[in-house]
Amino acid sequence: MTEPLSKIPSGLRYYWGQEASLRRAIEEAAMSVFDGWSYEEITTPTIDYYSLFERGMGASEAERAFRFTDADGRLLAMRPDVTSGIARAAATLFAKRNRPLRLCYAAPVFRLKGQSHAEWRRESVQIGCELVGQNSPAADMEVLAIATEALGRLSLDRDYVITLNDVEVFNGVAESLGFDSDSRDQLRQLVDGRNSADLEQFLTSCASREECRAFSQLVRLSGKHETLDQARRVITNARSRAALDRLESLWGIIESLDVSDCFEIDLADVSRLDYYTGLTFKIYVEGAGAGVGSGGRYDNLIANFGKAEPAVGFMLDLDALAGLLLSRNEGLTVTAQPERQAHNVMNNDETALFREAIERRTQGERVAINFSQVMP
Amino acid sequence: MTQLTIAIAKGRLQKESLELLANAGLCDPREALSSRRLAIEDESGCFRFIFVKPMDVPVYVEHGIADCGVVGRDVLLESGADLLQPLALGIGRCRIVVAALVEMPGNGHGMLRVATKYPHIAARHFGARGQPVEVIELSGSVELAPVLGLADCIVDLVETGRTLRDNGLRIIEVIAESTGRLVVNRASYQLKAKAVETLTAVLDAK
Repeated sequence: MTEPLSKIPSGLRYYWGQEASLRRAIEEAAMSVFDGWSYEEITTPTIDYYSLFERGMGASEAERAFRFTDADGRLLAMRPDVTSGIARAAATLFAKRNRPLRLCYAAPVFRLKGQSHAEWRRESVQIGCELVGQNSPAADMEVLAIATEALGRLSLDRDYVITLNDVEVFNGVAESLGFDSDSRDQLRQLVDGRNSADLEQFLTSCASREECRAFSQLVRLSGKHETLDQARRVITNARSRAALDRLESLWGIIESLDVSDCFEIDLADVSRLDYYTGLTFKIYVEGAGAGVGSGGRYDNLIANFGKAEPAVGFMLDLDALAGLLLSRNEGLTVTAQPERQAHNVMNNDETALFREAIERRTQGERVAINFSQVMP
Repeated sequence: MTQLTIAIAKGRLQKESLELLANAGLCDPREALSSRRLAIEDESGCFRFIFVKPMDVPVYVEHGIADCGVVGRDVLLESGADLLQPLALGIGRCRIVVAALVEMPGNGHGMLRVATKYPHIAARHFGARGQPVEVIELSGSVELAPVLGLADCIVDLVETGRTLRDNGLRIIEVIAESTGRLVVNRASYQLKAKAVETLTAVLDAK
């Protein structure tokens, strides 16, 4: 039996009309914010060596890429992320450039399947930026400030939460318990799932009853500054403490800028430990059932390409944002071009027809050529 | 005011879930059990309960249509849904087990046929020990499969073990313990933090 021509592979779709222009408007709004903070646009290859993504994202994430072979037999992939390509460029192509490097992008990424079952798309557009060569609370704050400005530009000012964590809090605890990488990953999953019941049971063999209880309660904590104090009562190892101090100084900046309403500290966000090395954050907006963006510090990534240097960045999920704004039916107030009536251009003489059309276009008018009077 | 939508698994866990919620003062179980409506709201308007099949609870919560859900751990292990599970509710205690005929006939070709409603759990369990299996997915009366020779063993949920015994089966090993869990959508957990915290605290106290 033959497949009908109408059939589209799962996880892929067309976009048109209002939705397509909304998507473009969101992309332009975000890119203009990046530009305003002196970020330079970069486009990475759509297809690249699979090994690039294995190095860049870690083997388990890269597994989700569409793969095929090059003419010489080498394994290629449709890019499942943009950051890997940028990290390689930072270490090689831009090795001699002055730091910090500020780069931004808006590009489709391709994944065989998503993290969550609710994520049905296999092609989605990431809009993001990377700040390379700086390791300080100020650099972390720069990307957070850009994220908040971008959300504001999309008129989402009041309805979002950005959750903050430092993965070293978790790493310190796992290290102090002397876990191997398997137990560490089990611990990570339980913490990430806020699964305090199973966590308590998991820890009984290696910690005192009180420690278990305290630590398993900790994963359910999220909040403002007080979360850090509560954590310090339970966590005593130096590595975690240093991370808590870093979060505290970042939180200090956030508070002094009067934006702490939109931020929360969430010490249990440990979804990608092999990738991030310090700050991590996730962006949630009212009305979206999943996060609409995420980011963090990845100081080891660029070293994978031969030049060790710190970096921090984030990305917004265009599909989630567009879906949200469409469902709110608000459109986008930043849309630069209001809906304009097209001028109907018709003439049975082709030269005159196009002379008029081009003239009107020069004036900035919208035209629609009406072919009904053009001789066939 | 924030309203929380809570998906409740119908069937095995439903009565206990509703009792738990009633004890916590969150809903009137009589109304929920007597009416055939699939969605009810509590008096204060703080909670909306929807009643769906157990396997659909993670689906509603993962998509954020329901903020929270009450469902067995067995369902969570099977679905592999990306959810938060901040609370074990201590209801619906049971075990996921491998069971076979008391006189288990060896089939002699090293390949195990496993009948189950939990194909992922079964595949993971036997995969972890390198045992090749043929997983046969059934939607009910799994105990019949070994009796009639469809499978060598089953992976199923056991509460008292009575159905197993009545059909001449015995437990070979326990894969996992399961109790009812409170699950929460990742975004709701952050965006409706206050309401979720209140719910967790009330249920935790019981």
